[in-house]
Amino acid sequence: MPQSTLSLARTIEGLRRPPSPHELTELLFRFSKAEASGIDGDELTIEVTPDRLDLLSEGGLRQHLEGLLGERSGLPAIPRHDPGPEQRIRVAPEVSPVRPAIAAVLATAPPGGSLDVGLLGELVRFQEILHATLGLDRRSASLGIYPWERLHPPIRYAVRPLREIRFTPLGGTAPVDGPAFFAGHPMAARYGHLGRVGEGALVLEDRSGELLSLPPILNSATGGEARVGDRVLLLESTGRRSARVEDAVGLLELPLVARGWSLSPVHVEHPERAETGECFVRPRTERLPASALTAVAGAPWESTDAIRELGRARLGADPAESGWSVDVPPWRPDLQGPADLAEEVLLTRGLEIGSARLPASRRRGRRLPAQAFRRGLRERLLGLGFVPLFNPVLVAGSIGTLLGRDPVALANPVSLELSHLRDALLLSLVQSLGRNVRFGYPQRLSEVGPVVLRAPGSETGARTVYHAGFLIAGEGVGFSDAAATLEYLLRRWQLVGVREPVELASTIPGRAARVRLAGEPIAEMGELHPSVLDHLGVPVPAVYGELDLDALAPLLGGS
Amino acid sequence: MVDPEESAASGSPELTLSPPEEQILRSLRSSGSPLGEEELAPATGLPADTLRGSLQRLRSKRLLDVEEEHRTGYRLTERGSVARSAGLPERRLARLLASAPGGLDPTALGASGLTEEECSVAIGVLRRRGLLEPGVPLRLRPNVDPGAPTPEEQALDRIAGGERPDEGALPALVRRGLVEVLHSTLRRWRLSKEGAALELERSRGPMIGALTPALLTDGGWRGASFRPYDVRAVVPYRTGPEPHPYAQFLEEFAEILVGLGFEEAEGPLVETEFWNNDVLYMPQEHPARSVHDAFSLRDVVGRITDPALLERVAAAHEGRPLPGTAHPLSRGWRVPYRTDIAERAVLRSQTTAVSARYLARKPEPPFRMFCLDRNFRPESLDASHHIEFAQCEGILGEEGISVRDLIGIFRELAEGIGIRELKLRPSYFPFTEPSVEAYVRHPQLGWIEVFPGGLFRPEVLGPLGIEVPVAAWGIGVTRLAMVALHVNDIRELFSDDLGRLTGRGA
Repeated sequence: MPQSTLSLARTIEGLRRPPSPHELTELLFRFSKAEASGIDGDELTIEVTPDRLDLLSEGGLRQHLEGLLGERSGLPAIPRHDPGPEQRIRVAPEVSPVRPAIAAVLATAPPGGSLDVGLLGELVRFQEILHATLGLDRRSASLGIYPWERLHPPIRYAVRPLREIRFTPLGGTAPVDGPAFFAGHPMAARYGHLGRVGEGALVLEDRSGELLSLPPILNSATGGEARVGDRVLLLESTGRRSARVEDAVGLLELPLVARGWSLSPVHVEHPERAETGECFVRPRTERLPASALTAVAGAPWESTDAIRELGRARLGADPAESGWSVDVPPWRPDLQGPADLAEEVLLTRGLEIGSARLPASRRRGRRLPAQAFRRGLRERLLGLGFVPLFNPVLVAGSIGTLLGRDPVALANPVSLELSHLRDALLLSLVQSLGRNVRFGYPQRLSEVGPVVLRAPGSETGARTVYHAGFLIAGEGVGFSDAAATLEYLLRRWQLVGVREPVELASTIPGRAARVRLAGEPIAEMGELHPSVLDHLGVPVPAVYGELDLDALAPLLGGS
Repeated sequence: MVDPEESAASGSPELTLSPPEEQILRSLRSSGSPLGEEELAPATGLPADTLRGSLQRLRSKRLLDVEEEHRTGYRLTERGSVARSAGLPERRLARLLASAPGGLDPTALGASGLTEEECSVAIGVLRRRGLLEPGVPLRLRPNVDPGAPTPEEQALDRIAGGERPDEGALPALVRRGLVEVLHSTLRRWRLSKEGAALELERSRGPMIGALTPALLTDGGWRGASFRPYDVRAVVPYRTGPEPHPYAQFLEEFAEILVGLGFEEAEGPLVETEFWNNDVLYMPQEHPARSVHDAFSLRDVVGRITDPALLERVAAAHEGRPLPGTAHPLSRGWRVPYRTDIAERAVLRSQTTAVSARYLARKPEPPFRMFCLDRNFRPESLDASHHIEFAQCEGILGEEGISVRDLIGIFRELAEGIGIRELKLRPSYFPFTEPSVEAYVRHPQLGWIEVFPGGLFRPEVLGPLGIEVPVAAWGIGVTRLAMVALHVNDIRELFSDDLGRLTGRGA
């Protein structure tokens, strides 16, 4: 879950009746997708669901609390002022194969105000959260904050050869050239590949050639550092997809709007099209049909009640034909349609258990016939004295190697012990045998469960099938024990399989068989090779048998 | 092992004795003094197990008394033997420091042959004894004789020589793993008053113990007496297989759902991202996808088998009208949908994929389905997280189904497992809206989240062609199993330990 540590004082600043820490925790738990997971002095640790990143800024959370506490209602004001003539970003055609999307908005402090330490900290912290979450570690979207008054617009988003780049990286004191930056700077090591275009790199620069940043890597200390006292800020995002950079800019403007800053659109001129940037300075309108709310809530809502709850959710709402017209601010990209708006209404009202009951069923429930089949085999093996196991499907790759098998491997395992998908229950049974050497013998182990087989060309590339397997280890145990057990299992359906010799890597040559029924292979069995037993430290012979239930079931007809 | 023949041997109101018991009584009588097992074994010629069992039975018949002497001994561990021959770490460090008058920096001790642990122990011991100057570098105090034997060294020598060591040095040596304490009990057996008075006569001729095939074949049993067994005697502890407790729990849970009118479904463990994520409206490039990550597979690729469904799903993701409709279901994720991502094979991370496949078959409403099966997520392994876990997914599709009904399901299921206290909070899943989490109160663990659920979004149901609302929930059954089975470590649910599964003990 995305989380951040906010300033409690800044979050509840301006509330008429600030909640106590306990009240805050309870309020968020019941009515919100944010959770106060810790409050320590001024540090408020907030976790949110991935759709409500807006609640990870002090400004966003404060607006939310104002609504829940009934102190304010409706869409927060988004002060707007008109753009200046050069308030634009020109996009060079070379950027499009790499990171074509860019969006920006200009934010201006209220009269007499400017960027203070608290707001700067909040902005930077929120920017990093957005990088890590929405931005998918800057791959999808990255954000920059720039001091507009120290720049010379228009801004250009382009590719510049590395050798022509010379700038002072943010946090540094001396200028470096492009090759040196990409060769040695830690931010370049981490994000450099996202901003490279052949022998060049993406740059944001102003009319005077001043470098603002190397998106999405790092800002320049001279042209790209917002400081305390700045009055006008350019908020910008670049990325692969327009939707994500728009979401990012819409969210980043929230802390400023919550502090009364006004917004102004920045035009973006792509080679083939232009974007006005209006979406960042005014709400968009969505429709909530009354029928959609009724369907979700289970009962019709009075129009005034719905409008009140939408207002508490800090949305603007007006009656419209057969429902409501809802104004959604730019920092709520999670509200995609009627279902989301209906949820807003329900959540601010609170989810009540009341007398809710499961409606009576009009049909009988039933287990899968295959489950009954498996359960029957499980019980039959139990009756034979086999200890039933419930092993993970994931096994160690080493057990596959030991048994000469080639199970499907995970590409991103988190444990060597659980890195491959068993292709036979034998892998799990042998692992279990090896883990139980201290208990002496005889041992009789069994399992009925899924295995995963390769199936190139099929829908998923693999097939999940169910097997029933057993393993017997003890003095005097031999192949006939496995064969007899398998025959016993098959007699449940009055079936007799035909055994044919087979060579299996993990068994003693000449002591393994495959069983066919109506020509179809349905089982295999064998005596484990001493090299396997030696590896496991098992001092007695062991045999196993494994029945392919998915192969067997179709041959049983209706039985 | 106790010989089963002997374990149930004689003893009756007439006090019959088994041959081994008679032999023991005779040996003790002829000895005239108490004997230990090591003396009785050669005197009676009985195997150790038989001897031990017979002695216990004679004691229970009050024919023998036992004298017990508890002894404590000491033995050098392997580490202790090495330390005795190479020198204790503090001795080796003292020697080293004696040869370096300017002192040594602790970080330079790595080259001295002392391990990091030994260095730490040695410095601690020398400091406690006041043999080191304060601070660093490490220096011996003046006038310290690094050759003088310490009480610990003297104790090690005495133990090695089989002598009793000085008690003062022992606790430290035991704590350091250099010496182990051996407790033993010496038992000596003597005839009780009743045993001494018993007449050992075999007046009834040969008696048969075990009925062997040979006796049956040659008729040797005819005319012979059978030795009566003590049917009240303690017998060996037998164990046998029981149903696996975790599997059993899952079975019982499934039956609850069947009782509520749900029919069972299942699906493949390896899925395409299409079914695991995309059909469920989980965006392809968005943090919402990271609600849970999935395991990907090496050298396994899937493919799309229903191009028409793919097109509908793509339209929902991109915020376009579904084919044949005029309006989009919502704004969508507003990024181009990628088929190459949809075709990737992953290990199923949620049983909701099974619900999606079930809905794609367009069941006739009203319908109720559940799937209780394994899922896989790349979590870090610890006592409460396993990368393989069971989830119970359920859906309920019916005209008029709402959040109230979903909450009703939570309530009914909680009551089904004996839980009455429930509370709700908003949640988020990309495929449901609204999304809810229900917490139940556990007497020991407090409030725990067990019922996440919601109503499937139009962007899920629309492409699948489902026209009734569908409530969906996915219960963390593994967590419930831990509570029900009193298991504190999730890994124990998969235990293949025969001690646990058969009760035979470690």
